[in-house]
Amino acid sequence: MGDLNNPGIEGTAKPVLDAASMAELRALDPDGKAQLVKRVLATYQTSLAKLVDQLRAARAEGAWEQVGRVAHTLKSSSASIGALGLSALCADIERLIRGGEAAAAEPLIEQFHAEVQRVDAAVGQTLQHLEAAAS
Amino acid sequence: MTLHHGVSLEATDRRPTVLLVDDDEVNLLMTAAALRDRGFDITSCTGGEEALTRLASWTPDVVVLDAIMPGLDGFETCVALRNMPGFDNVPVLMLTGLDDEASINRAYQVGATDFFVKATQWSLLAGRLRYLLRASRTRQELERSKAKLARAQDLARMGSFDWWQDDNRSFVNGLELSEEGLRVFGYGPDDRVNLRDMLRMIAPTDREPLVRLARQILYQVSVIATDVPMTLPDGRFRIIHVEAEPEFDEHGHCCAYTGIVQDVTDRRIAEDRIRHLANYDALTNLPNRRQLIWRAERALEFGRRLGHQVALLLIDLDRFKVINDTLGHAAGDELLMEVAFRLRGCVRHCEQLFEGVIETAGSRSHRTLEAVGRLGGDEFVALLPEVADEADAQRVATRILEALREPVVVAGQDCFATASVGIALFPRDGNTVADLLRNSDVAMYAVKSQGRNDALVYTPRLAGRGREKLALESALHKAIERDELVLYYQPKVDVANGKMVGVEALMRWRRGDLLIQPADFIPVAEETGLIVPMSEWALRQAAKQARIWADAFGFADSIAVNMPNRMFERTDLIEQISSAVREEGIPHSMIQLEITETGLMKDLQRVIPSLHRLTEIGVQIAVDDFGTGYSSLAYLTSLPIAEVKIDRSFVRDLGVLPQSLAVVTAIIALAKSLDLKVVAEGVENQRQQDVLYGEGCSLMQGFLFSKPMPPEDVQTWMESVALPRKAVAVSSTAKVRANAGEVVDVGRRS
Repeated sequence: MGDLNNPGIEGTAKPVLDAASMAELRALDPDGKAQLVKRVLATYQTSLAKLVDQLRAARAEGAWEQVGRVAHTLKSSSASIGALGLSALCADIERLIRGGEAAAAEPLIEQFHAEVQRVDAAVGQTLQHLEAAAS
Repeated sequence: MTLHHGVSLEATDRRPTVLLVDDDEVNLLMTAAALRDRGFDITSCTGGEEALTRLASWTPDVVVLDAIMPGLDGFETCVALRNMPGFDNVPVLMLTGLDDEASINRAYQVGATDFFVKATQWSLLAGRLRYLLRASRTRQELERSKAKLARAQDLARMGSFDWWQDDNRSFVNGLELSEEGLRVFGYGPDDRVNLRDMLRMIAPTDREPLVRLARQILYQVSVIATDVPMTLPDGRFRIIHVEAEPEFDEHGHCCAYTGIVQDVTDRRIAEDRIRHLANYDALTNLPNRRQLIWRAERALEFGRRLGHQVALLLIDLDRFKVINDTLGHAAGDELLMEVAFRLRGCVRHCEQLFEGVIETAGSRSHRTLEAVGRLGGDEFVALLPEVADEADAQRVATRILEALREPVVVAGQDCFATASVGIALFPRDGNTVADLLRNSDVAMYAVKSQGRNDALVYTPRLAGRGREKLALESALHKAIERDELVLYYQPKVDVANGKMVGVEALMRWRRGDLLIQPADFIPVAEETGLIVPMSEWALRQAAKQARIWADAFGFADSIAVNMPNRMFERTDLIEQISSAVREEGIPHSMIQLEITETGLMKDLQRVIPSLHRLTEIGVQIAVDDFGTGYSSLAYLTSLPIAEVKIDRSFVRDLGVLPQSLAVVTAIIALAKSLDLKVVAEGVENQRQQDVLYGEGCSLMQGFLFSKPMPPEDVQTWMESVALPRKAVAVSSTAKVRANAGEVVDVGRRS
């Protein structure tokens, strides 16, 4: 899984949302009764928008610590839904900031925003499929 | 000790409740779903503040906290949670990042139970939670059983302790008591106590042997089990039971003791009470027969081993029965208690000694056996475990007699409770306790027969008295209480007019089918002192009879009761007579007392005051057996007496020996000159009657008129003989005048 460590370069070749992770998620609610997948993805989408806004504002103010905290949160929740590329980017950003290398994190943040776009789109698409399947 | 959430944990069939706290809502949703799927009951919160709010009103079985959260993070939440009452033992699982070692360490510092690296491996998380719950439950059960044990120990006033050797192999510093153990001594849970503090609570006299015992136990590595009397820091006196077993290190050396301390004061008090009841007389609190005999046996063992003499003093009160009979049992008890108190002061009385082993270390330890005990009734024993000679024992006896010389106030009256003391010495007078008791008893009886209120040392000579006599004595002792004594009455008549002028009461002892004459038991009664209660009984009985006759046929004369001279020496004779006549509602004059001339003269000065007082209250005194003693006529003139009775020996010889007539004539003349009544006793025939009457003595008593008879026959006698008074009188005087010298044995018919 070495490719996960550098999603910015090879990410386009991979699916945005990891199929195995999604399967795991689905396994938590096998018959779909609790609509868990839908609720998790909806929750993720909401929190993603909120957290990206927070990160952008913090970066504008130079509040790097806050940037790191947002990255930490997004790291685990992204991993949970299988957005492994985004999760890896968040992990790098968090690590660099904690290590006092905020400047080195700057280019990663650009990549981060691009990946957010893709993940958001993929999540939205999956949600639409779920809606369609449900109706 | 938080029991409340432990109770909820017991229900294992219930889904365990989990509070899940994570700011990452996605993770929260997924974790919740995963854990619900695995049998947990999940409540979710997205932040520390929200979690604490929930916990204010609810306690989950386990709390799962995300370590890193905005606002109150997992660590701060955990600290806050631990500070909430009842949350000190709720398991808390901290979720940390994989590479976050700092968080892991901090998690433990803030009181988290465990940490778990965030992952999607839900089964592992669920397994960890179950493990935490089980550990918590086990811990909870342990806490509860500890609490139960503590409570049980508290109830039993018991606590545990450890006592160990320090590096210098010394046991002085290593002592630790459990909270309950501290409480046994009145200490709080935070107090620290060392061995020296403990030793200070023990009286110096007890400390020394205890330290010696402790050294011995440590040396022998034996089990500790001992009761220690202690005065606790708050001043309470308690008996603490200490029980401990040694613990051994890998080399097999005793390195520590572990055990319990228990306040056994109440139990000991109860045990002591039982032992006391078994060994002490309930009334006087003196050692009882059992305890005395035990002590005496131990004393003899010591005497045998150490070669010294032991003395046993048997102390019998002289007048106890009289007091018991006249003043009642309560008064008797009161007297016994006072006597016991005084006797106790006469020896080095040692209170507390039961059947335990006497410390054999001290060579004088047998001295602790010394005591006064109560054998029963009015019999006491003084045990002197070591005497140099019989003079030693006699000194104690003298002290006892002296102590009883002062009157005892009982029921508001002064009573004289003198004692007769018999002394027997080991080994001279006996080798066993039974022998010594028997021989001191012989000596004591000898004192009784010699006038009581004295002490005698046993000699074989004293034991020479016949068995028969002893049996008679002991039977006579019981005669009064068994109502075996009876009074017979013999009329005194005035032959001038044929009237009965009174009766003399004469004692008989109805012993089985036999009616025993006074000559056969009065001497023994005199000798043993029993004559006193017997005389007192006779007084009361005579008063009763006077009442009965007064009611039955208007009896208004007096009943003469024989009194030994010692009765006149007693200060309460007047009171006895007064109470007897008062009880029957008869005048004092219906009781007459007869004292023998010999008795009167024996100790005249001591008797005279009583005679005066008796005469003042109307009780007449007759001098019995007159003519046999050596009366100083000068005294006779000044004595307050009303009547003299001519001794039967002179009457018997009237007309046989001329001297008798001379004596009789002289007595009659003397009586007349002193204005005393004169009565002739033992008149058996007409000739005697005639001579007496001729000399001017008309009052007579004897078989010629009537034998002594039971009280119920007196009225019949009066009706058949005395009622036709004139006739009898006429015929009687006619006979005297007409047939002097002719014998008419009227008395023989009854």
